[in-house]
Amino acid sequence: MEAIAQKIREAAKRLLSEGKVDVVIGYAKGSVPMREYPYFAYTPEEAENLTWTSFCCNNLALYTIRRPGRMAVVAQGCVSRNLVNLINENQFKREDLYVIGVNSPGMVDRRKVQALFPGKTITEVIEEPEHLLVKGQGFEQRIERKKFLRSNCLTCVQRNPVISDEMIGEKGPEGHGGNIDNVAAPWEKLIPAERWAELQETLKDCIRCYACRDACPLCYCHVCFVDEAQPQWCGKTQDEADVATFHILRAFHCAGRCTDCGACESACPQGIKMRRLTSKIEKDIRELYGYRPGMEIGATPPMSLFRPNDPQDFIK
Amino acid sequence: MSDNAEFSPRIAAFLCNWCSYGAADLAGVSRLQYPPNIQVIRIPCTGRMSPKFILAAFRKGVDGVWVSG
Amino acid sequence: MFARRRFAVLKNLLEYVGIEPGRLHFSWISSAEAEKFQKTVAAVTEAVKALGPAQHMIKDIRKVA
Ligand code: SF4
Ligand code: SF4
Ligand code: SF4
Repeated sequence: MEAIAQKIREAAKRLLSEGKVDVVIGYAKGSVPMREYPYFAYTPEEAENLTWTSFCCNNLALYTIRRPGRMAVVAQGCVSRNLVNLINENQFKREDLYVIGVNSPGMVDRRKVQALFPGKTITEVIEEPEHLLVKGQGFEQRIERKKFLRSNCLTCVQRNPVISDEMIGEKGPEGHGGNIDNVAAPWEKLIPAERWAELQETLKDCIRCYACRDACPLCYCHVCFVDEAQPQWCGKTQDEADVATFHILRAFHCAGRCTDCGACESACPQGIKMRRLTSKIEKDIRELYGYRPGMEIGATPPMSLFRPNDPQDFIK
Repeated sequence: MSDNAEFSPRIAAFLCNWCSYGAADLAGVSRLQYPPNIQVIRIPCTGRMSPKFILAAFRKGVDGVWVSG
Repeated sequence: MFARRRFAVLKNLLEYVGIEPGRLHFSWISSAEAEKFQKTVAAVTEAVKALGPAQHMIKDIRKVA
């Protein structure tokens, strides 16, 4: 990990000092353990702060939106797929983007780690090749990295970047062996009443902070539907209908675009599992229209395309 | 409402101006009888239909939604 | 036609979260098909009637206040 981080810093310094890009967007070490955050290096000195660890959970594609000038982005599989999405949605030009590609080792879910140490404060996490050494006051434990991966990383099928101008480190295996179809759309087996109950259970702690929306590289609308006031499509309350409206519509807006990067779940302060909704759509899009978002530049998004023989048995 | 002997649902019907709204018109002109449960909302085209409308209708308490192009 | 894809995904999603299949209907009726219109209204009304009053997604103002 540290070796990769070092190479990212070198690449960033080179790009910035040669004036190839105006900014390098990467990750920097959080002020508390396991909370790496997006970092913008504008000078070679600032590039020293870039890092690469098991906790790079933000999707950096988000920060390219409406950013003038040339930018370099540190991109693992999912981030590169979202970059491709944005290029296909005409948000910026491929020429303005320099992709520093990295194979993703799969990111670790800080909640799963914290759950091992209930009520205790973790003060340091040291990266080892296959393990993490977790330290706090009066305890120290070595844990196996791959047992604590985020659930979306377990079923990822594209860990290498789909586009890159420069590859840091070697390409690695594409997946972790998890099969998305075993976990996607977990409520499909249930009857309607149970599904509704599960939805309520999943969303009951949502505080409508919209961190999930703000972390998502698909959500770049100037005015989001939840902020529209006249007419107000989505009420501002904690009422179950309002909360459900927000989550259903947000998920729907991601249809044919969501790369299952998991940034939304990682950003949520309440630990809401909104991928239970987005994974259903991802699966439908794959099964109905044979499409995986962000895999190739120039692909037409499935929602702005139709075929005469699209399924329509549901229409009378 | 539910203690009524016969439950009479309220249904929001989003009808395309050029297709189903026309059909509704023709049904009226032709004196065809149909259940009075639908409340028609005319939309300029089925392409105008947004999922927001459907959820908003449910939130306001309709029992069913029908979209017709 | 674009709408068809959107409706397909939306209907699946709403059913997935527990809105009963019979609550949401889609149809294509041309402006000449008054009889199809009549039949469809009847069918939609029957389907919704059979399900009874809606339970979910309704905003209950008393609960919020
Ligand atoms: S939830 Fe929908 S409306 Fe809001 S920002 Fe995301 S895509 Fe835009
Ligand atoms: S909805 Fe979540 S998983 Fe999908 S692209 Fe957005 S942040 Fe990533
Ligand atoms: S981040 Fe979590 S709590 Fe905030 S709106 Fe999204 S789901 Fe709700």
